[in-house]
Amino acid sequence: MIVVSLQSAARPLRGSGDFFAMSLDTFVQMFRPPWAWREFILQTWFVARVALVPTILLSIPFTVLTTFTINILLVEIGAADFSGAGAAYGTITQTGPIVTVLVIAGAAATAMCADLGARTIREELDAMRVLGINPIQALVVPRVLAATMVSMLLAPLVCLVGIVGGFIFSVFFQNVTPGAFAAGLTLLVGAPQLIVALIKAAIFGLAASLIACYKGISVGGGPQGVGNAVNETVVFTFLALFVLNVIATAVAVKANA
Amino acid sequence: MTVSTQFSRLRRTFNGLTGGWDRIGTQAQFYADTVKGIGDAVIRYKVEIVRLIAQMSLGVGALALIGGTVVIVGLLTLSAGALIAIQAYSQLDDIGVSALAGFTSAYLNVRLVSPLVAGVGLAATIGAGATAQLGAMRISEEIDALEVMGIRSVAYLASTRVLAGVIVVIPLYCVAVIMAFLATRVGTTAVNGQATGVYDHYFNTFLNPMDLVYSFIQAIAMAVVVMLVHTYYGYNAKGGPAGVGDAVGRAVRTSLIAAVFVTLFVSLALYGQSGGLNLSG
Repeated sequence: MIVVSLQSAARPLRGSGDFFAMSLDTFVQMFRPPWAWREFILQTWFVARVALVPTILLSIPFTVLTTFTINILLVEIGAADFSGAGAAYGTITQTGPIVTVLVIAGAAATAMCADLGARTIREELDAMRVLGINPIQALVVPRVLAATMVSMLLAPLVCLVGIVGGFIFSVFFQNVTPGAFAAGLTLLVGAPQLIVALIKAAIFGLAASLIACYKGISVGGGPQGVGNAVNETVVFTFLALFVLNVIATAVAVKANA
Repeated sequence: MTVSTQFSRLRRTFNGLTGGWDRIGTQAQFYADTVKGIGDAVIRYKVEIVRLIAQMSLGVGALALIGGTVVIVGLLTLSAGALIAIQAYSQLDDIGVSALAGFTSAYLNVRLVSPLVAGVGLAATIGAGATAQLGAMRISEEIDALEVMGIRSVAYLASTRVLAGVIVVIPLYCVAVIMAFLATRVGTTAVNGQATGVYDHYFNTFLNPMDLVYSFIQAIAMAVVVMLVHTYYGYNAKGGPAGVGDAVGRAVRTSLIAAVFVTLFVSLALYGQSGGLNLSG
């Protein structure tokens, strides 16, 4: 009785321990040949394909909403000409990273976990181990690297779509002068903020893909098991990435100040 | 039936186009059936609704271990509120109006951050859980068994979940908003060192009760859309255990986009072009 309750109490701890062990394995294997180039390219394409449409479709409403809310405020205090500065600042520092979080956690990590989970259920990973292939090296490392790279590439796309969306909404719907919008863009945002956005995106991609791969290779328990694993992936990546975003923002604000 | 092999490429392209069109149709039909079934669900499946409410608010499996849906959504809005404290405070401080930090909390948290983050949290927790459950039921042919027993499966499985989701979102959203306010307040006063009286004064001055009501309407609209999308993907899962995981992934992708668009349209409709903001009082 006591043993059973102790075991159930230790389960979350054991889970996080397993996760860190796998992450460590991944980092060690990352620098050890043979490198799985083919899998890396395939995975990059896979993640990019899964994430591209959600990225564009999520960044448009997000920016329009942010621009709309900030513009109401700017119009009220008679500074509508600065809506370009507001849009650029909101997009680069906050909306960009948050949309990247949503896309990487909601689209890329779920697809990755579902794919790896299906392989685990079909016992492909056990077969690989029998053949003497390390699944971490062959499957996890290329996925983690691919997600990190695609995430870094998605962040500029989000910013681009965001600023264009903010421009269209401000100029055509809220009657801001296009020249004033363009002039305001670089008022608050420069290269440091952009670099911070890229670094944030890389961290998000790394963390999300590690969680997705861990959940994917530790799937068990039939049809509900894979579904639950994907569900847990979404929840844990959202939690982890939101917390990471707060920490990264705090560090960036201190570093830029 | 013999299948003609002529123009196979043309036919495939054409089938691809009509297939997408068909999917939108079947999806719309499922949503109509689900909404229609809500009446049935309230009359016949009360017990199931109560059971689902309990399950959704606490979560299942590993999610229940870390505190369930309420804690997860609370944590998400907590970190989003902290973000406002960090970013907005430093920006306002640059132009010397850091006293207005309370205003940013009352304005941005209510209108922008809480609805969006709560919607995302709903999709990830309750929504994805429903897809995983329904998908597993479909794969193990439990849904077919329900139909054979003469139970209206859409009303019993989908309508009850949509209804339970809407009921759960109301207390859940209260927690979310309170967490966002709390995080911004603690971040601004305890960490950045603003006087609590200054913060509270500007917060209370600019907190518009009507905005809070609108924000609740946004949250409820999002809950309906998220639950509809997720039950559809779960109910129509196919392709074995791997298919369930795939369905959950696709459902999350679709519902995130749908939820954000719903927030956008609802806030454009409610706040209008002028925005209903009176800074001068």
